[in-house]
Amino acid sequence: MIDGSWKLSNPVLGLVVVALTFLLFYVVGFISNRKAASAKDLYLGGGNVGALTNGLAMAATYMSLATFLGITALILNLKVPFIMLWIQLILAIPLITIIYGTSLRRMGAFTPTHFIRERYGVSASIIAALFMILVSIMYALGQMIGIAVTFETLLGIPYMTGLFVGGLIIVGYITVGGMAGATNNAAIQMVIMALMFIVPLGAIMKAIGTEGWFFPPLLYADMVPAMLEAVPDFFDYQYPTKWYFSVIPALTIGALGLPHLAMRVYTSSSLKSARSAMVWFAFILGLVFSATYAMGFTGVYATSVEGLNIAPEDADKLTIILNLAYNPEWVTALVIAGAISAGVSTLSGNLLAIGALLSQDIIKTLKPNIHERLNYRLSYIAIFVGGVIAILLAIEPPAFLVVSILWAFGLAGVTNAPLIIVGVWWKEANKYGAMAAAIVGGAIYIAVSPFVFPNLALTGHAVTDGMGLSGAMLAVPISFALLIIVSYITNRMPSLQKNLTRERDEKLVESIHGWKDVQAYRYNSKVGALVTVVVSIAVAIWALLPWGM
Amino acid sequence: MKAYKKEVRFTIWMALAFVLMGNAGLFFSIFPTDAMLFGFPVKYIVPILMGWFGVFFLTIVAGKIGNRIDDEIDAERGGVTND
Repeated sequence: MIDGSWKLSNPVLGLVVVALTFLLFYVVGFISNRKAASAKDLYLGGGNVGALTNGLAMAATYMSLATFLGITALILNLKVPFIMLWIQLILAIPLITIIYGTSLRRMGAFTPTHFIRERYGVSASIIAALFMILVSIMYALGQMIGIAVTFETLLGIPYMTGLFVGGLIIVGYITVGGMAGATNNAAIQMVIMALMFIVPLGAIMKAIGTEGWFFPPLLYADMVPAMLEAVPDFFDYQYPTKWYFSVIPALTIGALGLPHLAMRVYTSSSLKSARSAMVWFAFILGLVFSATYAMGFTGVYATSVEGLNIAPEDADKLTIILNLAYNPEWVTALVIAGAISAGVSTLSGNLLAIGALLSQDIIKTLKPNIHERLNYRLSYIAIFVGGVIAILLAIEPPAFLVVSILWAFGLAGVTNAPLIIVGVWWKEANKYGAMAAAIVGGAIYIAVSPFVFPNLALTGHAVTDGMGLSGAMLAVPISFALLIIVSYITNRMPSLQKNLTRERDEKLVESIHGWKDVQAYRYNSKVGALVTVVVSIAVAIWALLPWGM
Repeated sequence: MKAYKKEVRFTIWMALAFVLMGNAGLFFSIFPTDAMLFGFPVKYIVPILMGWFGVFFLTIVAGKIGNRIDDEIDAERGGVTND
């Protein structure tokens, strides 16, 4: 069954299954996108995606390769605190939808930075777009490396071959399919991922002797007593309250700035459909996330109680190892296909975001009179170029880009989320505030990360600093406070009035909320702005105090 | 005025409800307990259940109220459909 190094003894089996899934993705991508004739069709799937398909696609885009290969390893090492951190990631689409997604969908935005351009002008939007491209490339690179490593370690294909052949096949299908193809494929990938994760997990639990094997996500309580005996600290929270609080600015708010998630909301056929999609998203993601915790729990149980031996460097392969140890090899081949589907669905979202950011938020912003036909062609080229950049970077990945994907959440939370949230809900927000927030907030976040000036890192706890929890707890509130304070002051400086477009901004804010007229009392609260500033400053000060870790 | 106030209040309270529902671990880090539920420690299973079914329930509520507020904004601005 296994050759001792935790890989398929018959890699052809795995290759055939993966090849068949890729063939399916190409066919679906080609059929879905054949009617595309404009950049809107390419990036928004024509703005006509149904609720169930979109909800599944949202979940698939969000669930990266990490669901299969990374999270379970972190649960193995960090135990329950990591599960507590992960649970709140389900809030991303619901919060995006209610806070700004429907407003930007109403506006017809391609990307969040499209809104930033309309709201704050060209300079601020290019700064935001560059940060978003960086975030998307970090994300895409993580998937690309992960897919090549999966090919290498599980199927025995050399890293470079897997990277170039696998990478180009994936980039090709995403370019061919556009958003319509990516959406339909992502919906299919979500079903594949759910089945390939949960059903084999049930079989593993049955082999271990768990009575609740027929519903793996929640029915494994009979393993708890043995677990408590073997690993008494498994359920301990380990870290102080501040650590659990820092998850909110870093990841809950961070996810609000991720362009590839927000873009999914804009593809909805209507606002009602977007809201129904978030219901489907919450249900399916909750199901698979809960199964992930069960897989992590089962991994710890298998190593501690059952005596399964997993070397530290193999921790990332926990899901695969459990399948190799307890299930027939053909099941593991399906699980590998599920893992690659998870990487591919996220990668497709990232590449579409990079394509839209490059072509629509940078090139079209600098050359606004570009012909629609050329714009459409450029859109395809931009997606492909984004993919090729990710492949080339993955050959010898620069250390600063291969950081935890969760660190990228924080960067999005600092540089993009405040600009969008405050811009949608407060008319006074202006370009000076936006630029100050993105540049100063982004610089602080990068400076206090352990990757640039390790001495400035706030906690000295590798995981906390490396995932951006400590940096975001400082930089996200600073970014919110700066945006509000700088906007408030510059709006009252007569010398700057000629550079501001207050009347236009007010019309935009009213219109994206559905109003036709402009009323002074709407989206203009000084109390709301003051409360946000006070809370933000308090959180930033708290971040600077000792963490006790 | 009425629809605007509803929209702002709904967004603030709903966002807070989502954040609390998804971050139940924060609550148990402040108020630790060794109680058990369904065979699991409460501090483990309650955040998982709230992070799935609790958030799922809130999305249903948020969807319904959001749609209703859209209709009210439409009505207040003269009955033009808002989509």
